[in-house]
Amino acid sequence: MSSNSGLESTIDQVLERNSSEFSQSLKNSLTDAQKTLSDSLPMLEEEYEKIISDGKKEADKIEKQIVGSADLQARNKALLIVQESADKVLEKAKEKISNMDRNSEYSSLITKLLTEATSALDTSDVIVFTNSKDKDVVQSAVSNISGAELSNDLIDCMGGVKVTSKDGSMSFDNTIDARIELLKPLIRKDIAAQFNLGN
Amino acid sequence: MSNQGGVQYSKIAEIKGPLVIVDGVDNAAFDELVEIETTEGEKRLGKVLEVGNGKAVVQVFEGTTGLSVSGTNAKFVGKVMEMPVSEQVLGRVFDGLGRAKDGLPEPVADSFLDINGAPMNPEQREYPKDFIQTGVSVIDGMLTLVRGQKLPIFSGSGMSHNILAAQIARQAAIIGTDDSFAVVFAAIGVQYSEAEYFKRSLEESGALKRSVLFLNLADDPAIERIITPRVALTVAEYLAYDLGMHVLVILTDMTNYAEALREISAAREEVPGRKGYPGYLYTDLSTIYERAGRLKGKKGSVTQVPILTMPSDDITHPIPDLTGYITEGQLVLGRDLFRQGVYPPINILMSLSRIMKDGIGEGSTRADHQEISNQNYDAYSRAQEVRALAGIVGKAGLTPVDLNYMNFGDEFEKKFLSQAIDEDRTIEETLGLQWNCVSKLPKNELTKVKDKYVEQYYKE
Amino acid sequence: MVAQGKIVWISGPAVKADGMADAKMYETVSVGESKLIGEVIRLTGDVAFIQVYESTSGLKPGEPVVGTGNPLSVFLGPGIIGQIYDGIQRPLKDLAAKSGSFIGRGITTTPVDMTKEYHFSPTVAVGDEVEAGNIIGIVPESSLIEHKILVPPDHKGGKITKIVSEGDYNLDVEIATVEKDGESSPLMMWHKWPVRQPRPYLKRYDPTVPLLTGQRVIDTFFPLAKGGTGSIPGAFGTGKTVTLHQIAKWADSQVVVYIGCGERGNEMTEVLVEFPELKDPRTGKPLMDRTVLVANTSNMPVAAREASIYTGVTIAEYYRDMGYDVVLVADSTSRWAEALREMSGRLEEMPAEEGYPSYLASRLAEFYERAGRVQAKGSPERDGSVSLVGAVSPSGGDFTEPVTTHTMRFIKTFWALDASLAYSRHYPSINWMNSYSGYLADIAKWWSENISKDWLDIRSQTYGILQREDTLKEIVKLLGPEALPDEEKLILEVARMVKIGILQQNSFDDVDTYCSPEKQFKLMKLQVDFYNKGQQALKDGASLADIRSMNVISLLLKARMDVKDDEMDKLDKIGNDMEEQFKSVTGVKVQN
Repeated sequence: MSSNSGLESTIDQVLERNSSEFSQSLKNSLTDAQKTLSDSLPMLEEEYEKIISDGKKEADKIEKQIVGSADLQARNKALLIVQESADKVLEKAKEKISNMDRNSEYSSLITKLLTEATSALDTSDVIVFTNSKDKDVVQSAVSNISGAELSNDLIDCMGGVKVTSKDGSMSFDNTIDARIELLKPLIRKDIAAQFNLGN
Repeated sequence: MSNQGGVQYSKIAEIKGPLVIVDGVDNAAFDELVEIETTEGEKRLGKVLEVGNGKAVVQVFEGTTGLSVSGTNAKFVGKVMEMPVSEQVLGRVFDGLGRAKDGLPEPVADSFLDINGAPMNPEQREYPKDFIQTGVSVIDGMLTLVRGQKLPIFSGSGMSHNILAAQIARQAAIIGTDDSFAVVFAAIGVQYSEAEYFKRSLEESGALKRSVLFLNLADDPAIERIITPRVALTVAEYLAYDLGMHVLVILTDMTNYAEALREISAAREEVPGRKGYPGYLYTDLSTIYERAGRLKGKKGSVTQVPILTMPSDDITHPIPDLTGYITEGQLVLGRDLFRQGVYPPINILMSLSRIMKDGIGEGSTRADHQEISNQNYDAYSRAQEVRALAGIVGKAGLTPVDLNYMNFGDEFEKKFLSQAIDEDRTIEETLGLQWNCVSKLPKNELTKVKDKYVEQYYKE
Repeated sequence: MVAQGKIVWISGPAVKADGMADAKMYETVSVGESKLIGEVIRLTGDVAFIQVYESTSGLKPGEPVVGTGNPLSVFLGPGIIGQIYDGIQRPLKDLAAKSGSFIGRGITTTPVDMTKEYHFSPTVAVGDEVEAGNIIGIVPESSLIEHKILVPPDHKGGKITKIVSEGDYNLDVEIATVEKDGESSPLMMWHKWPVRQPRPYLKRYDPTVPLLTGQRVIDTFFPLAKGGTGSIPGAFGTGKTVTLHQIAKWADSQVVVYIGCGERGNEMTEVLVEFPELKDPRTGKPLMDRTVLVANTSNMPVAAREASIYTGVTIAEYYRDMGYDVVLVADSTSRWAEALREMSGRLEEMPAEEGYPSYLASRLAEFYERAGRVQAKGSPERDGSVSLVGAVSPSGGDFTEPVTTHTMRFIKTFWALDASLAYSRHYPSINWMNSYSGYLADIAKWWSENISKDWLDIRSQTYGILQREDTLKEIVKLLGPEALPDEEKLILEVARMVKIGILQQNSFDDVDTYCSPEKQFKLMKLQVDFYNKGQQALKDGASLADIRSMNVISLLLKARMDVKDDEMDKLDKIGNDMEEQFKSVTGVKVQN
């Protein structure tokens, strides 16, 4: 699959080239503490578009390679490539996010995520879970909420919180992983559009 | 529904049949999608059937096998169940819940549509009147299928309904247009071999790339069958009204659907209607069948051919009965004809296409179509009476006219009704065969056709 | 004080709300954030049980419920004719304008266009005393309907102190003021009326005038009277809807209310496409100009289906009160009963037969009791009628199921559709042995005075032939037709002719679709003459084969399609031919 490794290196190159810009925009998107992460991700997607426009050339090539085979097979193959690219882009983005500085913008984001979770659960009598990197940031946010406690058990995630009511009957997953999961279909749609596969 | 959902509850009060009753729920909506997570981390989907007083009754599509009261979590997703749709669903195979089943990634969605749809405004409907040529004589000639119609096949176990449905799907064409055409096939609890037959049939005719398949097979979860026709129709509506295609939807077997509905109703301890089926079976079926139609100002159409097997071949059983009250006619397969080896074994006297009259005649098929069809009905009905009489008094006791009707009956079944599985007859051939049949009768018996047609088409 | 509560429980169209101590039974309420329309159907403490007329998908406990203070009512005034409404009188056209091809939720509309101007001519003047039901003016509504503006039936009346002069006014205009006991009240061109409450009238008459439908098997054999009740039960595929459409098209009433209650969407579309094209045989005007449609199809919310019947019958009573004959067709009351059953099930009431609530019978009785020919309240003196025709869709075609059996207790004409007739393409598939009409004696006088004094006698003779055939058929089944003597074979022959030439009627044939009373009588008379002459000819030595080969038979059979209503002389000619041919068959025999 030389075409795929070609694509991979293209994406890597593009990511490399744009990395500073990319993380800058990431940070910018997080500065607005009033906005939830789901509001800020569309800005990330603008970046993806740039990456993809380069990847598109690769896709065109692939399209030519498979000229002659049935429409359906061609389409299906392209689908797989979109999927791979989408995964790749998301993977890179996740990496960026998990390596992000735990600064003050980040802590307002955590506060935001925490408030959202407690309001969804309709109680602040909660136990909060997070990963090792976010532990300190989360601890300071939790201390501002009466009734909330930070658990010593760590969870595996890129960032954000998971909140459980003290009786254990309810929980709300507000990790960044969960938020990105919700946005996945939209991101895929954008990527596919770059490959002329959307409508 | 807003995005307020997402809360996961772990207090399960009860699990009974396909239902999970979640306790301590204060933020769930009626009809909301639910993700059930088992102790092992397996995820299943469900929806809220009833909510209030801190409890939510959740119907689990993939069944409750292996779920336990402790360790099971229910996440209320904050939206109703949706199907991702785009042109890319064409040529794809999905499971009974609309998830990719062909090893390819999920289609990139153009939009996400509520699988329950919304009722079509009757005022916005366009009355169906475009003839669909199926190439099957008995259908085209006497039980005409029209774009936007819902015309079920009432069959019995083991009969050739799926072969017939596949033939219709392969051959269906609208004469004189180049509008794009699509087939949506939903297998609801059918055997693998039957679904495979259908798929291969589409493949061989090159129709697969304009087809979408939803497969809930016999060994797939039963409750999933509640969803299968709905995701299929959601896709069909999208192809028809957003992309302007003419979509033929085949739903087989609706009996399995109704049984899944009965299972849920029983688990909810509802007061049953007839034969244990819920009192709302009619209304529920209508929310599927009424999704056929045409709309003003939209190019496409959704035509439905649902298939159901009548338990013990009983047409008064609630499933065919309530279906017949909703659909625009029915094609009834006859056990006798099937045993005699007739294909397609359609019992025309019990069959009907309600909106046939509007799809045929001058400018569409041919001016004599309705009348020659009526004459064949009349004659076949008379032929059956004569056959019954011959059973009592013997052939010798029959009048010469009675004998003409016997001949008619034989000609009708052997030459007109019978047809090969891959035989695609034009409407002209079909009408010609109908005239051949009635030409077995003396001219003065033809009371249903105008004299001018008799002169033009009767074969001496 | 309007009730303001919160949702505590939701299951499909059924919602419970607490904090509703101020709510009244049958009050309409707004449910949830999206303001769905609902109706209170039970009150227990401060908990109201509400049936919601729109899909409750996405509704959550905790959302608000707000009372309106009013029971479910319909708007009654000019602009109703020609409309297509859903079950709670929302115009489907307006719903489409607001939510497109599919019906959205929480949409509010007005039943008619309030800004449209109507030409109002007052019929009372300042200083006149009026009371409830009086006509105070007229408005041309359609080419067929002159809309009478009524003082509302629950108005206390009084003296007219102000009335607008003749001219064009929209519906927001106050057209008159009435004063009583020093209190003045405005009158509009419209008023509202609660659907579950029958509109009052002055007195009720016996139904003695037939409702002519142009359908032979109905008018001649199993007639309905104006102000009467009829029911048409039949399994699917027996042609119920076609028969109902025929009644709606050709009945000699001035107004038709057609309720599509839990039935197919395309059937309503068919009416919408056909009726504007079809001409009323008596006036030549489009049928849509006298028709109101209420469409709550099977896939539309089930609670609104329950209401649709009441919405329709209240509109019918309103036009009755203007002095019109109204026919209301409800297709199908079984689906209405199922809606009742569904709500009852969700209320967890104790079910009676087949899960239907125990009050099914009383609800059906109340509905059919709203039929009648009456003298309306108020002056000028005028009579009007509401005739009710309800379809029944018995499950499995079984007439012993609860909806059919209860309906039979409250109706007087019963048209039993027969699947075996439908299978042999005998339409309308009304079984002549199982059907009945309780109005026959009442309306015989009308036929005798208007068509022929022999009508009842000829009808009885024709029906007698059919009854004889029914018995003879049993013998034929066992022994074959040859076992019968010739005069009995002739009965079979003529019965077959009656079935093909009279009972069958092709609703898709331009001529046959409507048959005038004169033609109905003459066709029947010809057949009876044929029978009597045939029996006489047999006595005179003619052979049955000779009679069977007479070519007048095919003329008789095709006359229903060949002879138009204004060509009665052609039927006379067939009579003459018959005379001649009988002469010749007996003549031939004598010569031998």
